[in-house]
Amino acid sequence: MTVPSDKSVRPDEPFDEPLDEPFDKSAAIAEVLACAPGVPTVFTTGFASRVAAALDDRPNHFYMTGSMGLALSVGTGVAMGSGRTTVVVDGDGSLLMNPATLLAVGADPDLPIVHVVLDDGVYASTGGQPTPGRRADLGGLAAASGYRTVREATTRPALRAALCSALAADSAVFIRCPVQPDAAPPGGRVTPDLPGVAARFAGSVTGGSRFPAPPE
Amino acid sequence: MTSATTTTTSAVAVRDALVAHRMGPYFATPCGVLAPLLTALEDRADYHVVAREDNAVAMAAGVVLAGGTATVLMQNSGFGQSVNALASLVVPYRIPLLLIVSMRGTPPDPTPENLAMGRLTEPILAGLGIESDYLSGRRADEQVRAARRSVLEERRSRALLVRPDEFDWEA
Repeated sequence: MTVPSDKSVRPDEPFDEPLDEPFDKSAAIAEVLACAPGVPTVFTTGFASRVAAALDDRPNHFYMTGSMGLALSVGTGVAMGSGRTTVVVDGDGSLLMNPATLLAVGADPDLPIVHVVLDDGVYASTGGQPTPGRRADLGGLAAASGYRTVREATTRPALRAALCSALAADSAVFIRCPVQPDAAPPGGRVTPDLPGVAARFAGSVTGGSRFPAPPE
Repeated sequence: MTSATTTTTSAVAVRDALVAHRMGPYFATPCGVLAPLLTALEDRADYHVVAREDNAVAMAAGVVLAGGTATVLMQNSGFGQSVNALASLVVPYRIPLLLIVSMRGTPPDPTPENLAMGRLTEPILAGLGIESDYLSGRRADEQVRAARRSVLEERRSRALLVRPDEFDWEA
């Protein structure tokens, strides 16, 4: 696994991963971190947040530790409130729990949201039970909800190209990535200092201190 | 599109207080009791209709994380829908929101499908540590001012509850 650097990659940058590296959840998240340094990024609950925090715990990361299915809603609010391009790293289980969350983006499709759905077909953090989405067309749901751009990335280089183009777009982009479940679970849980996660993320989004630490 | 509902003096007073104290954007979900207030707000650019109450809460949380304020308008049946978003996002991350919650299932609303949430809304808010107060058109300005202070200075979410007949709703 390549540790992501703080410098964003270009779509044509030579890809130095061995081609036989599995395209699993961790590889996809590493690619998001490489392509979108400093970009406000909301990670869904479960392994996605834990993988991201373990790869590189950055101030522009918002880790959901609960509220399964609401990562996209939070990201939608961040994009609305800040006007900044916002990345949401979602999962098939989370999206299937709350597909209504797609409708808010569809209602406002010019919001700069890059919605990456890592579709491994299982509830990884609760024991790997299959999700009920085997026959569901997640990209179709996004398109039917009003997203103008829906893509699929089945390899890590394809995800890099899709992310670079989506980050430069001025409207919402949905990217479904069929990934393998990670072979091993990620490191420990994210920090229990959740007000700290929120305050640090807010500071990163606003570039200042408009979200002061709450009084004790 | 403008809705068919007409607004009321009390609803306009609440709208004016919200706007004067800059509590937007507004994330609204369907409610007959709140309809006159929703009508008074709906032409604003910062008014958004959301399909589910928990989604509205999370969108409002995102706006606050981006440095703003935000208000969610919902019926207490939908408050039931949003409890997990409040319990596992808004409260533990201390993301302060203003909630405006209509109180179906409390007098004079006798509808049986709403009675349980009518009984449960205030205890659940108390259990979440979210202070609440009954909204009144006459006192709206001071109530919204206090809510703004709670959200911005104390960084605590606040709920303003709306009696079924506050805006002239009839069972």
